Amino acid sequence: MEIRLKNLTKCFPGNPKKGIPDTYAVNALDITVPDGKLVGLLGPSGCGKSTTLYMIAGLLEPSEGEIWFGDEDVTDLEPEKRGIGLVFQNYALYPHMTVYKNVAFPLTNLRIEEKMLDENGNQLLDEDGKPAVKRRKLTKDEIDKIVRETARVVQIEQFLERKPNQLSGGQQQRVAIARALVKKPKVLLLDEPLSNLDARLRLQTREEIRRIQQSTGITTVFVTHDQEEAMSISDEIVVMKLGVEQQRGVPQEVYNNPCNKFVANFLGTPPINLFKGKIKGNKVYVGDQVVRDITEKDVPDQDCTVGIRPEGIIVDPNGTFDFECGRILTMGRDIMLMSKHPEALSDTKFLIDAFVQVEVGNVKCTVKPHKCFAFSLEGDELRII
Amino acid sequence: MANVLGKVKDFFGGLFKRKERVSADAGERNNWKAWLYLAPVIILLAIFTFYPLINTVVIAFLKNYNYTTGLSDGFTFDNFLNVLTLAGRTTTQETIYRWNTTYDAVTKTYTGIDSDGIACTVYFQTDVIKYALPNTMLITFITVPASIVIALLISVCLHSIKAFQKIFQTIFFVPYVTNAIAVGMVFAVLFDSKGILNYIFNLGDSFFWIDRAAPWSHGMIALCIYIVWHSLPYKILIFLSALQNIDKQYYDAAKIDCAGKFKTFMNVTVPMLSPQILYIMITSFIGSFKEYTSVVGLFGSPSTDGGSTKNMYTIVYYIYDCIKQPDTVARGAAAALLLFIIIMIFTAIQFQVSKKRVHY
Repeated sequence: MEIRLKNLTKCFPGNPKKGIPDTYAVNALDITVPDGKLVGLLGPSGCGKSTTLYMIAGLLEPSEGEIWFGDEDVTDLEPEKRGIGLVFQNYALYPHMTVYKNVAFPLTNLRIEEKMLDENGNQLLDEDGKPAVKRRKLTKDEIDKIVRETARVVQIEQFLERKPNQLSGGQQQRVAIARALVKKPKVLLLDEPLSNLDARLRLQTREEIRRIQQSTGITTVFVTHDQEEAMSISDEIVVMKLGVEQQRGVPQEVYNNPCNKFVANFLGTPPINLFKGKIKGNKVYVGDQVVRDITEKDVPDQDCTVGIRPEGIIVDPNGTFDFECGRILTMGRDIMLMSKHPEALSDTKFLIDAFVQVEVGNVKCTVKPHKCFAFSLEGDELRII
Repeated sequence: MANVLGKVKDFFGGLFKRKERVSADAGERNNWKAWLYLAPVIILLAIFTFYPLINTVVIAFLKNYNYTTGLSDGFTFDNFLNVLTLAGRTTTQETIYRWNTTYDAVTKTYTGIDSDGIACTVYFQTDVIKYALPNTMLITFITVPASIVIALLISVCLHSIKAFQKIFQTIFFVPYVTNAIAVGMVFAVLFDSKGILNYIFNLGDSFFWIDRAAPWSHGMIALCIYIVWHSLPYKILIFLSALQNIDKQYYDAAKIDCAGKFKTFMNVTVPMLSPQILYIMITSFIGSFKEYTSVVGLFGSPSTDGGSTKNMYTIVYYIYDCIKQPDTVARGAAAALLLFIIIMIFTAIQFQVSKKRVHY
């Protein structure tokens, strides 16, 4: 099921009398989530990603715009009629029910449509000549079968008789996913599902989500502020800022080619190093040092912000760029150079391979051109190169 | 083996030592101070709560107790027997044993030998068995569930409306701060044969609710309506504050899970409110076993038929009637003790039932 958001806007009205302006949590968002894909909505807190998710779920009403599931406009549809599964940030498992009952609960509300057959197994027709359909509840045995099957997929079979408060965070999360999956939704929505887990469990669980998503093939939207999380499991990520979509694409592509300073700064740990710089004669300067030649196109001379990814340097005694290395952190696979640069907008960090010999003090290097970006100083700080 | 024994010894030794240390340091030295601080309340409680409590139990077992003189003729179970079967005015102001009696159906009297071997006659007036106990039970089992269900529905409705919520909360809370007798008088006007209720339902002025000519059932209906109405505000207050504490996400989750309004109520709201429901249930069970003021407020007397029977009796009303006369105080004490036992049993049952149904 493809999800299309058209010009989706959520505005929380302010109070003009007290001078509180309207707040746009989501502003004119256009996103298409392809069928069967996992899309991560990514952004810092307050960027409207959860609001977007709740609007898709139907728990919040959009101020403007439309939401389409495939060929169906669901903008004004009640959440229960949308056929979605939602995993809440803190799971919202019913604390008084056992895991089994939690997972079975959506099924007890479900009405399935069944074709009516006569004794010979032929399709009966209703008055309009269409095949007659009977709506009925699921039987206990059917529910039991589906619950156990789903429990197997998310590996919670051994906890079925426990109460949610007797489970660890990761187990609760799997129960929440099971509850969302059990009615075979067309769309699965996950709201920061990993934020309550510790680092190791988070790694494990995000693989789990990926596995479950791929095995079930459900179109999934996933909200997170953790870029690593989003990049590692999403087919596509959407980076948002203050309710506005900044960039959308395959994770690696977005990382490699950020469209503006915000996206470049938001993606990547440690974050990109930013410097005051300028473009002159198709060369990018930081201070009076050339960090990169521009070969792709002609760019007029201007001041700009220069961003260099931490992994974007090669230590080279003949390099044109140098900085003051204050401290060397050993990270195992890499070493990190905690450095200072007079033109830098903040402390800079560079990652280089552990076998490279560096010493505290002045380090000369060349900059990898594809790891170096220049951003305009005006407007949305779009990327120049 | 010796090793294990040694460990056990160490363990208990450790326990003992710890206890010793505590009592030596903080315990012993400051004990008298703690008692001193507690003294005002303890003395007041002792005089006005503990002593009357214990005294009630003692009096219930005293024979021919007279509270003006404080004298009695030793211990007996007669008071309890009186309450349960022979609670009436006896001709000789004496009690007789139940198993020594012969019953005369025409005069409705018992004749027999009392414990001192003197012949006497007793009117068989089972006010407790015939009226007080059934009335109290009926009131309890009608008003408690009814008021809890109604209070729940009202609080859920109140919780879901946005406009005027505060005003409605205030309106619904007003009965709580209104005097029971005053409310009873208003209800007495409402339920009068020429009152507004008969007018609205077009019952004519010969349909009696609480007048002398009213049958028992009409009186009981009026009484139950009155009690339910008067007990709602407190319950609504408790439920409303509990409702406001339920995480809204559970309702969102229920919505996503396609649960209808009623199913959400039964599967989310009620279990989430179960601790409050238990609390309300136990307190209002106890409260309605002690129903008295409502009867006084509504009828002014324990009867709707002018006093020929006490058909609106409740247990506490009976107790009050007993302690009005010096010679029946012991009977009142016995009735109070029996009421206490009944309440204990019901509370214990509720706790047992709640173990499985209440989710904290």
